[in-house]
Amino acid sequence: MRVAVTGTPGTGKTTATERLETDLDVVHLNEAVREHDLYEDVDEGRGSVIVDLEAASEWLGDRDDVVVESHLAHHLDVDRVVVLRCHPEDLEERLRERGDESEASIVENAESEALDVILSEAVDEHGIESVYEIDATDRSPDAVAAEIDAVVRGEREPSAGTVSFIEYL
Amino acid sequence: MAENEGDKWGVAHVHASFNNTLITVTDQTGAETIAKSSGGAVVKQNRDEASPYAAMQMAETVAEEVLAAGIEGVHVRVRGPGGNLQKSPGPGAQATIRALARAGLEIGRIEDVTPIPHDGSRAPKGKSGY
Ligand SMILES: Nc1ncnc2c1ncn2[C@@H]1O[C@H](COP(=O)(O)OP(=O)(O)O)[C@@H](O)[C@H]1O
Ligand SMILES: [Mg+2]
Repeated sequence: MRVAVTGTPGTGKTTATERLETDLDVVHLNEAVREHDLYEDVDEGRGSVIVDLEAASEWLGDRDDVVVESHLAHHLDVDRVVVLRCHPEDLEERLRERGDESEASIVENAESEALDVILSEAVDEHGIESVYEIDATDRSPDAVAAEIDAVVRGEREPSAGTVSFIEYL
Repeated sequence: MAENEGDKWGVAHVHASFNNTLITVTDQTGAETIAKSSGGAVVKQNRDEASPYAAMQMAETVAEEVLAAGIEGVHVRVRGPGGNLQKSPGPGAQATIRALARAGLEIGRIEDVTPIPHDGSRAPKGKSGY
């Protein structure tokens, strides 16, 4: 079983997956990208490396029984995709507090969240029956982790389009 | 071409999310809103069938208001995956643009300005069709 935990930066993927109780290995893809140079180019304007998805997929190899955590995890070959959601205004606050992104990046991420960019990609690439949307707005990291654990155990129904943040725009 | 062609063209901002589409038509500077509509209410109630219908309804109302304001054509700025990804149930940008054209507006440049989620990394462009 391979599970992707994706979602706009700031939705709480890293925080929640550090608290999972599952026996699956948790892979924080951002770390692997840094450590193994899994990128093909650099986006100077955004201060981001452009990930080489093929290299990332090769690096992961045929490892099974993993939870892959990254806002790019839904671009990998996985069985289930958890999409964490967070209201764009809360997302901005979380990212400001985390403090490692420019204001322009924070706003672009909030707009991405308002437009369901990652959810749409996940549904497009994996089908609605493999997507599990979890609204992490106003929920503790432990509560979010427990819901991800439920997805991993097969105790949660797929869902998509359960939140609407478009009013933010 | 008329000398004051600039005044006769507006900008249609199409926000296309997973299950909603918003259209806002402004003047060329973006300062003045001429018309605005959302398709979400219709689509959510009837997800399978309502999408093209919602897009058409929205676009017709908007086009009517815009034409009445003396605007003859619009340049289009699309933001959001609903504009391109196949499985998003929202009315979608493409359907909206077609409906605006059918309602009698000229369509000028179409630009995709969908935001890219990113932290220290981002996906390559074109990964999901935009
Ligand atoms: N459930 C939550 N409620 C409130 N704040 C949270 C929650 N989860 C994470 N955070 C905070 O939000 C910021 C982003 O969380 P992080 O796990 O780094 O997100 P991601 O890995 O999705 O980019 C961090 O500062 C973190 O402490
Ligand atoms: Mg993270």
